Amino acid sequence: MTDTSTAVLQPTGRLNMVAAPAFKNLVEETVASGQTRIVVDLGQVTFIDSSGLGALISGLKATRQAGGDLRIADVPEQVMTVLRLTNLDRVLRAHATVVDASHDW
Amino acid sequence: MTGEYLLEGLAVPESLNLLHDLLERVGSEHPDIDAGDLMLFETAVIEVAGNVVEHGRPSGRVSWTFHLSVHSDRLEARLSDSGEEYPGGTWGTSMPKDPMQEDGRGLALATAVLDDLDYERTGDVNHWTMLRRRG
Repeated sequence: MTDTSTAVLQPTGRLNMVAAPAFKNLVEETVASGQTRIVVDLGQVTFIDSSGLGALISGLKATRQAGGDLRIADVPEQVMTVLRLTNLDRVLRAHATVVDASHDW
Repeated sequence: MTGEYLLEGLAVPESLNLLHDLLERVGSEHPDIDAGDLMLFETAVIEVAGNVVEHGRPSGRVSWTFHLSVHSDRLEARLSDSGEEYPGGTWGTSMPKDPMQEDGRGLALATAVLDDLDYERTGDVNHWTMLRRRG
């Protein structure tokens, strides 16, 4: 189960150069509010580009610097393919569901 | 089935969504294109276009023309932009060594999913050609 230090963020649609800056800000605000464990539910993301990947890496760094972590869950095929091609699947491990990602931090 | 598509506009972030919409149209009008091929081609197109948006100078005032051809054996696109000349060679086409680096993956990702990515400067215009063979 999640606790008060865990947040679930659910971006939707295209996580590209248009949407990535707002998502990056949202992660930073979430960490600043004290929620340093973040699960990003990618189930509603239809497409990710390198800007979106950059926003996830930025979030990973922000949460870890605050003593937490960032995990991804319910990863669609295009996102998984892009993570593999960029070797980022090694630093952003995909969890099947938000529930799977939300325990054993 | 073959087909030709054209999109003109300004190289700004919002235009990327128009390219996405165009690629969606290609998919719906050509159901014979393998969904995986189209997905990877779209990934490459958006990365190359995103690179123009990010690095095209003068920023916000670069215009572009995108032309896409569906052939029986390949998907081919040409993005022509009015920006200043880009440094050539293999610049930006390998993945960053540091996985925690936030940028620098765009052209490397495009290179990985295309059979051919080419850049050339003709007169005052930059041309990016992208080719992916259909599976």
